[in-house]
Amino acid sequence: MATTDDSAGAWFGSDGQVSQLRGLLFKAGCLGATLLALFLVFVFLVYVAVDAIEPGTADPAWWATVAATVAVPAVALAAYYYRYDPRAGEVAYTAVGLPIAATLLAGGVGIVFRHIVSPHEWLALVVAALVAYGALEVHDRVRRAGAFERAAIGAIVLVVTIVGLPGLVPSLRSLILSLPVLPMAPLSLLGTFVVPVALAVGWYVRRERESERAGLIAGGATVAAAALGAVAGPVAGVSWTTWLILTTVVGVPVGLYVERVLSGGEGVSGLALPVALAAGVVVCAVVVETAGFTGPDVWLDWEFLTNAHNRTPREAGIYPALVGSVMMIIVVALAAFPVGVGAAIYLEEYAPTGGLLGSFVELVEINIANLAGVPSVVYGLLGLALFINAGGLQPGIVIVGGLTVALLILPIVIVSAQEAIRAVPDSQRQAAYGMGATRWQTVRTVVLPRAMPGILTGTILALGRAIGETAPLLMVGVAAVVRISPTSFFGLFSAMPRQLYSWAQLAKPDFYHGVLAAGVLVLLIVLLMMNGTAILLRNKYQRRD
Amino acid sequence: MTQNDTRNVDGDDEQRTDGSETAVSEPTTGSDATSDSLLDASLDVEGGTVPADADTVIEARDLDVFYDDVQALEGVDIEIPENGVTALIGPSGCGKSTFLRSINRMNDLIDAARVDGDLRFEGKNVYDDDVDPVALRRKIGMVFQTPNPFPKSIYDNVAFGLEVQDKADDVDETVHRALERAALLEEVEDQLDSSGLDLSGGQQQRLCIARAIAPDPDVLLMDEPASALDPIATSKIEDLIEDLAEEYTVVIVTHNMQQAARISDKTAVFLTGGELVEFDDTDKIFENPEHERVEDYITGKFG
Repeated sequence: MATTDDSAGAWFGSDGQVSQLRGLLFKAGCLGATLLALFLVFVFLVYVAVDAIEPGTADPAWWATVAATVAVPAVALAAYYYRYDPRAGEVAYTAVGLPIAATLLAGGVGIVFRHIVSPHEWLALVVAALVAYGALEVHDRVRRAGAFERAAIGAIVLVVTIVGLPGLVPSLRSLILSLPVLPMAPLSLLGTFVVPVALAVGWYVRRERESERAGLIAGGATVAAAALGAVAGPVAGVSWTTWLILTTVVGVPVGLYVERVLSGGEGVSGLALPVALAAGVVVCAVVVETAGFTGPDVWLDWEFLTNAHNRTPREAGIYPALVGSVMMIIVVALAAFPVGVGAAIYLEEYAPTGGLLGSFVELVEINIANLAGVPSVVYGLLGLALFINAGGLQPGIVIVGGLTVALLILPIVIVSAQEAIRAVPDSQRQAAYGMGATRWQTVRTVVLPRAMPGILTGTILALGRAIGETAPLLMVGVAAVVRISPTSFFGLFSAMPRQLYSWAQLAKPDFYHGVLAAGVLVLLIVLLMMNGTAILLRNKYQRRD
Repeated sequence: MTQNDTRNVDGDDEQRTDGSETAVSEPTTGSDATSDSLLDASLDVEGGTVPADADTVIEARDLDVFYDDVQALEGVDIEIPENGVTALIGPSGCGKSTFLRSINRMNDLIDAARVDGDLRFEGKNVYDDDVDPVALRRKIGMVFQTPNPFPKSIYDNVAFGLEVQDKADDVDETVHRALERAALLEEVEDQLDSSGLDLSGGQQQRLCIARAIAPDPDVLLMDEPASALDPIATSKIEDLIEDLAEEYTVVIVTHNMQQAARISDKTAVFLTGGELVEFDDTDKIFENPEHERVEDYITGKFG
């Protein structure tokens, strides 16, 4: 077979018999595209960050101090972890990221208790729900009824306790709210927010450690730390309520994590990074203070987060829009999640697949996928027609904005939930059906638990898109500037992207450079948080399979 | 192995006497069915009892299965006796799995599948309108080709059937007994709370068997239960099947002819075209089959 010609012996290709040129060019092209995309995004982010922070306004000495006290130790530690102790590195980044994420979450919880559900309202809701649950339990004891009767009774009890029968029976909730003496706000939060969290923590620790005592200690510590705020709060310069929320939302997860690392004994040296960072910040602050270096004149500061819009750029802030966005996202999630997941379950598990009906279902599915690509301004128009013109709701209120954006992300939620459900292996369904499970039992006990992480990931990503949508809000008349945060879901509101849009139109350069950039950063951080949660969820459950 | 073999032979002997009885009574039922099958069916529905041959649990009469226009089974007639192991063998695509899945109506889950003819479980045609496939599957358990435990704890896996079938009495004991029956209890007794997916392939398949027998079905269908396992795990499963056959009617599809010869009392040979060519005692099939095609298949000349 071997035909020996002139190039004999050169089978290993050193003389260029095999042409790699086209392949190499293709590879270089792909690399170029990747670099271009990354470069463009990076330049944009740097541009915005520079506008929001204005590093040029600081003393060089200030930057040197920051570098020496915070940046250099952090980089040195990171290098050490990378080189010698990757496990500790993992611990280190979690230990730094967790408090930051938890603090942002605490901000969200604070907004909820301040503007959406007041502590007293929350107390009333919790008590009403407890009474409803108790009634259901009693009913169960008295007669062992079927699932339908139980569900009906549960619904009726919940409605009576929380909503009441209009004109006939006032709800338990409004009765509690009308009591002349209610426990002060922090106390009712302690009872109805901290205690349930402490119970959950205790239950979790007890299960993890298989020790009754550890669970009791964890739960007790949670309540104790929160209660301490009555004394320690004012000393530290924050209200008891703030202290409560901080200890519960930030302290509990951080404490649990640190305790787990310490008792696990693996990667303990990773905890040095957050300690070094905190110490560095303190040292830096002391040095800057004593030496009198001036820091940068940042736009994204505490005032920006807590102020409303103002004619003076330095006074302007994003707070009402932030609250508005949070409330809108709650409406979006409550509206889009059940409808979207319900539709996905029907299409994947129940809808006919063969024959004429099957073709119709296929057509519907294709159209849902297409709807995901319809421009958002069209959804704005739909919201305008549906909720304001036909539904008679007031333009520019939270619920209208939320429902309109919910319509917009509904197709995305449906499609991603469908994909998550489709990813459940058929062998699992077969196993369930083979055991004599009904379709409903199969969906409930096998398909949904397995698909839920995927469904949640898709939904969170869709909510991330929802929080940045501007055009639909313009269409349904969301106000350009709102100086007071909405107090109910039927109040006028502005959302972050809407606020950014109006800042971009103001004539003062300070607005369209500084304030706008700071707002963009806030929006991006919120988005990053949501997407990060989605990624964490996905990784956690992917590893388990 | 020799012990097993002797036991096997004993079992076969017993089975053979059973078989001859069946053979005697068969012509009568057969002629009934051919002379007036409609009348026969209506009688059964009215009586609601098992027909003449009490030992037959599953009985197919002229069973056809189609996937859209493709015929997967053609005129299958079979009477599967109570207890003991019935093996279904044949080359790929011959319809043996299709037959197995039509017994507990798993084919209903495939929209394209269509069934004609009679398939009786305890005398009742399972494709009658008043038969709920869910109720049917609660009487007929199934084990699949690849182990498919749920991503739940071992305990919850075995308790799954009890939960969905609302058999809440003494779940703990039932779970333990099922695991013991599936020869798995010793290996997993300390880790009932750990995930079923952490087990090895062979253990997973025994877990699936434990899951299938926990709600105490009458029949156990097995679709090549050992084909994804190594020889050691396979032999464990085979021992287990022989044990189970004392209590349950086991119908097993297998590609492995030695396996069929080792563990089954009766063997049905399906050949290409979805045709049941021969059904008889296992010894007869492997030593002296009636049909030349069956002999060719068994001796490896074809298929």
